[in-house]
Amino acid sequence: MAYSRVHAHVREYDVFARKARVEPLRQVGSVVAPDDDLAMAYARATYDEERWVEMMIVPRDAVIRLWAPGDSET
Amino acid sequence: MRYAEWCIAAPSLEADIAAAAMGLDDIGHSRVLYGSLRELGTPDGTDESGYANVPYLDKPWTDWAQFVAANAVLDSAFTLMIEALANGNVEVLRSRLKKMLQEERYHFLHGRSWMREAKAGDAIPRAWRESVAWIGPEGDDVDELRRAGQLAYGVRDLRRLLAERVGTTAPPDEIDWTKWDRVRRRTEPGGIDRETLDMLQGLAEKRYMPSA
Repeated sequence: MAYSRVHAHVREYDVFARKARVEPLRQVGSVVAPDDDLAMAYARATYDEERWVEMMIVPRDAVIRLWAPGDSET
Repeated sequence: MRYAEWCIAAPSLEADIAAAAMGLDDIGHSRVLYGSLRELGTPDGTDESGYANVPYLDKPWTDWAQFVAANAVLDSAFTLMIEALANGNVEVLRSRLKKMLQEERYHFLHGRSWMREAKAGDAIPRAWRESVAWIGPEGDDVDELRRAGQLAYGVRDLRRLLAERVGTTAPPDEIDWTKWDRVRRRTEPGGIDRETLDMLQGLAEKRYMPSA
């Protein structure tokens, strides 16, 4: 993995947030960290410049992809 | 200020950004605390001897382990005192300090995770000793404020909660309370280094001003 410059093992996390309850969550970026604690701290430090009403992080390896751009949907 | 010194020197870009963000948070917290003190009738300090910092902050940190120990242990001790004030009976503090606690949660997560990663070594016992000294001895001012309801925790509560939060216990060596300064909350003499004081007071920036 390309991110092992500091930590021996890391996970990638996608960061989702929204500014109002009526808005859907959208992906605002990602962080790389060795555990959930540091991923939360990094996500908040990096993406807190806007007034989000909600922010959450998801480990990228927990996401199940059904198809990707360029794949056939059927 | 010490956090900010690491915003281009931490082991990763993410940690640089976190150091800057936590430094900014703590500047905001200082402003709220100084404002609250003023409102509660405490006069502003006028000179450098007015800085009541722990010895850990006297000089710039030379090793990331020192940052980690300060972030995990000392910052948690400060946060617990803020929590004790936010849950005490002083209305100004009850209403103003809650946001501070929300922000400090991320400092704690950062410190706890890095403490697992980094070999913080001697820095941890030192941060612990200075946290215990900063909280103060049993039966002194903190316990008096607890009895008066202004603080939600006493000295024993603070020490226990700190051990729970950090996941380590205080080093066994005793603090020499006869040397303890009740105002500056430390047993060692000394203070912030000259260069940092000049920066804090805006003197270091004067050199960039056009000469008259």
